[in-house]
Amino acid sequence: MDLQLNPMPVPAAVKADPRQAAQALGRLLRQTPEYEAFLKELNVVNNHPAVQKISTQMRSHQNALRWFQGDMDDHEASLARLETELEALAVVQGYRQAENTVSQMFTEVDSVISQAAGVPFAANAKRSGCGCGG
Amino acid sequence: MQAEELLNTSRSLGEALRASESVQKYLKALADCEADPEAADLEKRMLAMYNELITRQQCGETLTRNEIDNFNTLKRQVYQHPRIAERDAALTLVKRYFAEIADEVNFPLGMEFPTLAQAAKV
Repeated sequence: MDLQLNPMPVPAAVKADPRQAAQALGRLLRQTPEYEAFLKELNVVNNHPAVQKISTQMRSHQNALRWFQGDMDDHEASLARLETELEALAVVQGYRQAENTVSQMFTEVDSVISQAAGVPFAANAKRSGCGCGG
Repeated sequence: MQAEELLNTSRSLGEALRASESVQKYLKALADCEADPEAADLEKRMLAMYNELITRQQCGETLTRNEIDNFNTLKRQVYQHPRIAERDAALTLVKRYFAEIADEVNFPLGMEFPTLAQAAKV
């Protein structure tokens, strides 16, 4: 006997739940090789002795600036020098490259979401940084 | 396969957002606002005045009290216009809703999707 399965009719419009779609998207993005590489680079940077040393020095100058201790111009100049030193490290450059690859992929994903939504998504989804409701 | 799945999931999220009440209300308010000649004219005038004043100020010119008052009056008219106020209120709700939805994307990532999506360097 020749059995032929009749496929179930697909409803014309399956209304997706935005929250479920967003969760699925987050999981998919997390599994991409680009994001895996980015997390790996982040871990390397966070645990690198030179990065930790420079970061500690930067925090010290930032605290001094916050509490108006010492010469403000000196602290600002030191911060700028340390930031340049930090960005010049090979591990940081590797991290920046991985970060930019992920950013470009996310920008493309955002463009697809925004086009389908009819409203820019990422630009309107960013929370205000101050937490003051503004 | 993964790229295709990513594309389909992104599109499906966008379509679900478009079907949501807050986006539908905003798109209607936006269309109503764009179709209102008075609202469009007010916004156009405000933008032109802002650009002119800011350019002069950046060139070192000191603006008169009267000029600043005129700009503030026009700005008040813009934000009090019913169509513009409706559109802006609807956009505020969309932003709140989008931030909640973005949190669902952020959670598995452990990072903020909107921030990373806007940080790309060409």
